[in-house]
Amino acid sequence: MKSMRSAFVPAGLALIAALAMGSGAAVAQSATPAPAKIGSSLIGKLEGPEIILDAKAFPKTFKEAPILAEQVKAGKLPAIDKRLPEPSQLFVVKPLRETGKYGGNWRRAFTGPADHENGNRINSLDKILTFDYTGTRIIPSLARDWKVSDDGKTTTIFLRKGSKWSDGKPFTADDFMFWYQEIYLNKNINPTPFFEFQINGKDGVMKKVDDYTVAFEFPEPYPFFVSQLAGSTAIGGGFATRGGFQNFGGAYAPAHYLKQFLPKFSSEEAVTKKAKDLGFDSWVSLLKNRYSWALNNELPVMTPWKTVSPINTPTWSMERNPYFWAVDTAGNQLPYIDRITMTLAENTEVANLRAIAGEYDIQERHMGLAKLPVFLENAKKGNYTVHLDPALNGSDATLHIGNAYEGDPEIAKFLKNKDFRHALSLGIDRDQLNEAFWLGVGTAGSIAPAPDTLYSPGPEWNKKYATLDLKQANELLDKVGLTKKDGEGYRLRTDGKGRLRLELVTVGGQFVPYTPVGEMIKQQWKKIGIDLDVKELERNLAFTRDNGNENQMITWANDGSEMIYLFPRHALPVDAAEAHMGMAYAKWYASRGAAGKKPEDPEMLRAFDLFREAFGASEENRVKNGKEIWRIAVEQMWSIGTVGQSPAVMGVRIVKNNMGNVPDRQVNAQHARTPHSSMPITFYFK
Amino acid sequence: MVTYIVRRLMLAVLTVWAISVLSFMIIHLPPGDYVTSYIASMSASGSAVSEGEAQALREQLGLDKPITVQYAKWMGLILQGNFGMAMEWGRPVSDVIGDRLTLTMVISVAAIIFTWGIALPIGIYSAVYPYSFLDYAFTFIGFIGLAIPGFLLALVVMYVGFAWFGANVGGLFSPDFIEAPWSMEKVWDLTKHLPIPAIVLGVAGTAQLIRIMRSNLLDELRKPYVMTARARGLPEYRVIMRYPVRVALNPFVSTIGYLLPYVVSGSIIVSLVLSLPTVGPLLLKALIAQDMFLAGTIILLLGVMTVIGTFISDLLLMWVDPRIRFGRE
Repeated sequence: MKSMRSAFVPAGLALIAALAMGSGAAVAQSATPAPAKIGSSLIGKLEGPEIILDAKAFPKTFKEAPILAEQVKAGKLPAIDKRLPEPSQLFVVKPLRETGKYGGNWRRAFTGPADHENGNRINSLDKILTFDYTGTRIIPSLARDWKVSDDGKTTTIFLRKGSKWSDGKPFTADDFMFWYQEIYLNKNINPTPFFEFQINGKDGVMKKVDDYTVAFEFPEPYPFFVSQLAGSTAIGGGFATRGGFQNFGGAYAPAHYLKQFLPKFSSEEAVTKKAKDLGFDSWVSLLKNRYSWALNNELPVMTPWKTVSPINTPTWSMERNPYFWAVDTAGNQLPYIDRITMTLAENTEVANLRAIAGEYDIQERHMGLAKLPVFLENAKKGNYTVHLDPALNGSDATLHIGNAYEGDPEIAKFLKNKDFRHALSLGIDRDQLNEAFWLGVGTAGSIAPAPDTLYSPGPEWNKKYATLDLKQANELLDKVGLTKKDGEGYRLRTDGKGRLRLELVTVGGQFVPYTPVGEMIKQQWKKIGIDLDVKELERNLAFTRDNGNENQMITWANDGSEMIYLFPRHALPVDAAEAHMGMAYAKWYASRGAAGKKPEDPEMLRAFDLFREAFGASEENRVKNGKEIWRIAVEQMWSIGTVGQSPAVMGVRIVKNNMGNVPDRQVNAQHARTPHSSMPITFYFK
Repeated sequence: MVTYIVRRLMLAVLTVWAISVLSFMIIHLPPGDYVTSYIASMSASGSAVSEGEAQALREQLGLDKPITVQYAKWMGLILQGNFGMAMEWGRPVSDVIGDRLTLTMVISVAAIIFTWGIALPIGIYSAVYPYSFLDYAFTFIGFIGLAIPGFLLALVVMYVGFAWFGANVGGLFSPDFIEAPWSMEKVWDLTKHLPIPAIVLGVAGTAQLIRIMRSNLLDELRKPYVMTARARGLPEYRVIMRYPVRVALNPFVSTIGYLLPYVVSGSIIVSLVLSLPTVGPLLLKALIAQDMFLAGTIILLLGVMTVIGTFISDLLLMWVDPRIRFGRE
């Protein structure tokens, strides 16, 4: 098969030039119409369905899917008016192109029970708030509206009157209070409070105002909490996504169903016996299983589709939720598509081959950028179209520097030297990397996010210290004292122990081929006299070494960093769950100085202060701080950006030609839960 | 003979216990734990686990306890007939393995039947007519089969199937049948999908068995008792099949010990490439995810199967070969 693929290379190379030009134009969304090149047809215009918020424009009469109408006729289901929320409380969507047709089975690939995000991201409308298709504006979702008090300490959400769980039981503020009191505050179930539910280390509380109003109260101003409710966080990520596999997040839960698994509502013995009878080791394990929409098809949900055949079988299938609370502008209950069937691919190669054979209707997950030439080659035969959705983060293969590394004092000394880091960055030929590994569709640059994102400090920061300049790089290296070289031209250590060898840890089998990228950088750094060892490690080992501050440098994406407050870990070392830029510093920040190590770099401390301050600040100041943090991060270069804003991760989208309302380009970002922000409920079979 | 069997049985129990300790230790050898691996895998797919969630997970799964406590917990569960929870799957380990066991056995048995069905006749033919044209031809093909790694063959077969025959890529069922309840149509669908994995899995083993059979039989055919039988005018078929083939079968019988674990695990790499829902990929994923109860149970199961298999082949050898039977007593 390898030799087969190499036959596509000439065709691929021809494409590359076209793609590279097209991508630049699309990212900037330039007004001039792009010439008819293949690249511009692959990266289309960012578009998506609009949400109607004015109740006066809401439809008054409602229609339903034929399969549901049959059930109503047979008396198995109440009429559509009885299933939807009150007409003024609906979630109304104007589909991207036209009113769709009901029916169909959406075929997709998944890779096993660890791939639950695959379904979560289609079913994310049960988040309390969410982002619109541009990924920038917060819009209502499960909650119909929200309000932040003037002092910023209270965030109130308003639920949709008359909305129901997928089993027809009413959905009210009591489901929130049940989650808060019986799940979240129960130390057996949830031992540690959520970071997002705290401000400056102080816990928030949840209060019921009335049956359809819930308030989150904090001891200090926390206006950013609205974003936490809209982001992919433990508190706001939605009951389906954050429950079960991940943990017990989501801020609400179906009290009427889950009570039977809690000791409080029967007895410890009864629930333990129930768990043992079913083969579980404790009642918490059983609860966790019953709490997961992907594993438990009896679980009531608020999502558009509910599981039929669970994720731990060869097909994970879903069917429409008859009580789903959204309609289109013509009054048709959504979603349009009746079923989703995901078939198990034990590895992603099989998933890609099946996509080429046209076996999937819409698939963006697990599709490899390196296979683009093959996808295009077979597009006609497989009757599909390929779309590329560039991401918003600055760099897919980021060289995160182990700023807290201490293993080799000489190396540690240089890694902590800003001029040294700048020299390394100036010694990278990013265009060569882009052509070789991103087929030219990425954007070469620094770690800074795409220029049109909220916290971008401006397009000049995307290029800063991020262009090849061997002369300056060599001058900087001479300046920091690395003047002596050996016979092969490599610089020598200053402690007389031979050549200065840096080690770059890479992880194989990821969306971006990190190891070959590292090998190419090794070749490029030869010209500035830096010897690089590229060391591929198993992913878990690489992360464990991160946790012990043992990596000099590691290659990983900086995805999600465009929303720096919602997902800071790839931009700053502040999150002790994952910190490639210095776990010791992250622990220090997260524990407020109680653990870890205080950074020596005053600029890092300044960035930490700006970051911490932002959570309680007004939006204006928050954005200001965000831009300043990015300026500091690019200037200080705690990690080196290479090529990003690319479709390498979940941005290669295979869409069958009979699918309707599918955007030409969708926002590809973690907080937007791609493809959720394109509203899969409006997709349909033509 | 009874004491011999009892002694073997007691040794087997001891071996199984040692395997359980070893397998548990091996799973803990790599750095990190299930939660580290979970964070890494979520990060690789563009999602996140928060620090609070990570800590909560560790406490719920008991990963914050020392390894001895974790082992004791596992052993305690096993003695109750419960193998713990498969962390990645959120279900009891026995359910997760049970789902895949039947299909794994179907594939493995099909592969074994294929291997033996081809290797034994060819081996016998090659020994009876050594250095003939067909002997060379079979040897040539056999060595090619031996030289091509199974996963590569799987890739080629899959691509050829897709490109020229429009076959479904990988898997054991057509998409329509995966969810369908068992029926004659579903069995027929399975039968249609079975040959590819069976052949791919069987080809490598075939060459090996042909060679073993050929050389063993050649040795036997040269022995005086064969000549005597021929001299006394026994028909050629009986001369060969009656004794020499039986003796030459000995090595096959003694490898049954290794066949049993193979039957329950299938081949890991080939199953992964062909996307077969067998126990093999399950073990690989469990090891990558450091899902210790699941991986531990599969390894333990393989160990137990090896022990049982060896025991059975000991008994079979006694039955097939009188020399062993009488030598013991």
